[in-house]
Amino acid sequence: MTLHRLSLRLRQAVTQARHLHSSRRGQQLEAVAVEPELPKELSFFRTRESDPACHAEVHMGQYYTLSPVHLRTVFPHGLPSRFQLQMKTFNETCVMVRQPALELISHLKKADYSKPAVRYMFYGANGCGKTISLCHALHYCYTQGWLVLHIPDAHLWVKNCKELLPSTFSPSRFDQPIEASHWLRNFKITNEPLLSKLKTTQRYVWTKRESTEEGRTLAELVEQGVARVRTSSDVVGALLKELRLQAGQPMEGRQEGFRLAVAVDGVNALWGRTSLKKEDKSVVAPEELTLIHNLRKMMKNDWCGGAVISSLSQTGSLFKPKDVYLPQELLGEDGFDDMDPFVPVPVSNYSEKESESCYLYYMDRNWLQHPHSRTEEGKKELLFLSNRNPNVLERLCASL
Amino acid sequence: MAAFMTNLLKPWSPRLTLVRWTRYNPYYLEPETSRDAYNKPETELTPEEINERDLKTVRPIKAAVSGVSSSGFNDQLMNKFVNMMMQEGKKILAREIMTETLESIKRKQVEKYHKAGPAAKMEIECNPYAIFHQALENCKPVIGLASIQKGGKFYQVPIPLSDNRRRFLAMKWMITECRDHKHRRTHMCEKLSQELLAAFSSEGNVIKRKHELHKMAEANRAYAHYRWW
Repeated sequence: MTLHRLSLRLRQAVTQARHLHSSRRGQQLEAVAVEPELPKELSFFRTRESDPACHAEVHMGQYYTLSPVHLRTVFPHGLPSRFQLQMKTFNETCVMVRQPALELISHLKKADYSKPAVRYMFYGANGCGKTISLCHALHYCYTQGWLVLHIPDAHLWVKNCKELLPSTFSPSRFDQPIEASHWLRNFKITNEPLLSKLKTTQRYVWTKRESTEEGRTLAELVEQGVARVRTSSDVVGALLKELRLQAGQPMEGRQEGFRLAVAVDGVNALWGRTSLKKEDKSVVAPEELTLIHNLRKMMKNDWCGGAVISSLSQTGSLFKPKDVYLPQELLGEDGFDDMDPFVPVPVSNYSEKESESCYLYYMDRNWLQHPHSRTEEGKKELLFLSNRNPNVLERLCASL
Repeated sequence: MAAFMTNLLKPWSPRLTLVRWTRYNPYYLEPETSRDAYNKPETELTPEEINERDLKTVRPIKAAVSGVSSSGFNDQLMNKFVNMMMQEGKKILAREIMTETLESIKRKQVEKYHKAGPAAKMEIECNPYAIFHQALENCKPVIGLASIQKGGKFYQVPIPLSDNRRRFLAMKWMITECRDHKHRRTHMCEKLSQELLAAFSSEGNVIKRKHELHKMAEANRAYAHYRWW
């Protein structure tokens, strides 16, 4: 907090010095008084602080704007579809700063990265904001220069697969070339600079004619996976293994190594059931899928120099009843044993301040059009009908 | 007392009543669904309203329809349109289509609003309810045709239409246009939102149909004297 105030004062000094130096336009500037930087809050529900590292308790309940540059690199595929519609309509990307994300960011700031990776898990009822909190934490990791490994929805890998090929590496497993290559393409967009500095530590043979030698950059490895779709699932496995080995190790040009943030939304898909069938109509178990198998290895805390941020999700899950949200129920016994010990972070419905902020934001963006919704009574009705659940409130306000 | 009166008024009532029959005895009164009517203090009521209130304490009241609510978001025209869109009694589906239509209209308009300059912002109408009402107003025909028989032949005679009939025709044309004349694979909410936005700015096939009806009426004005009412 004091650092924040100090930087504010320094910025004031800098702007004053700049005004003193540009004496050619001195007369005009004298008319415009040397005003100090406006306070970081634009209004009750917005804040100008767009750096997640500087978000604090003061900003709770306020919306911060993501810059389009960050958006394109960090979230080529990460944001939920309804949120993307909202981004397109409002012509801006605003995320609310909430307590679970702030808690996670404070944990990430204080953690010791020479110890094994800590696993964090967002849990809560449907539509409470787990995915958005995950994206907020991920934005923080990106601004701190970490390598971001984001699987936007693990449930998409266990259902509706058009092509299921037998794996080239192991005969009992199945490959998903389309999903793997699509993910690799988005991964490359997020992490281009870091990937060109890291090197492979062993030789990988893909087919009789193709192989990647030791010492090639990881960017080339990813290119190989994107270009040769057949072996892309194995490329994903190799990539995860390399990153696991090299996170936290000192690299060329830096004393400490890079930090790895593994973010998985819908972690319970890794240990649930799939809806995929083999040719003889028998059900495919999740461990028989290469992507899931490799991701499970990533979820173990046997590597150092990073963190695993995950969130549960009932909405995309298969064969789970609608009202379960606790980690034990969604992960199942195997999942819970594998993920244990983890740091659970509960996400709940909006508090009064947050729902007030959300209502004001919708009013500001000209989203609430019905005359009754703009009255006090209408607002009370909306908050009552939605029970302050963010998702339900958004759907209600959409048609009003 | 109420039971005695119902016995006198009814000519005949069947022993078994059907469950979804809405034919009430005229003795039953309509329910009052808006909250404002009940929040009015005693002093503001006119003598007729006081009489009505006293009558309601003694007469039986019809059951409220499930499509109507006492919330401020309730819209009569919207309910009528949803009922007309409903097929096979699937009210939930019809209502969902309606909410999705309103959402898509609002999204298109708000997107335009946010991308427009400050001068253009005042012109853009973002309220989907206002657009819906205005679009249906624009689609209502002023004059209609009736088939009247005279001397063995049937003539199309221009006649004035009642308000209900005009509203019905506008809604019916809108729904049939979206169901029949659009691409098969688009969702109904998409089709409806496109057609409503076009009707709002007086373009599109429904407005064309209304104009054609007007032209036919104008062409047949020679037969207007065949109308006897």
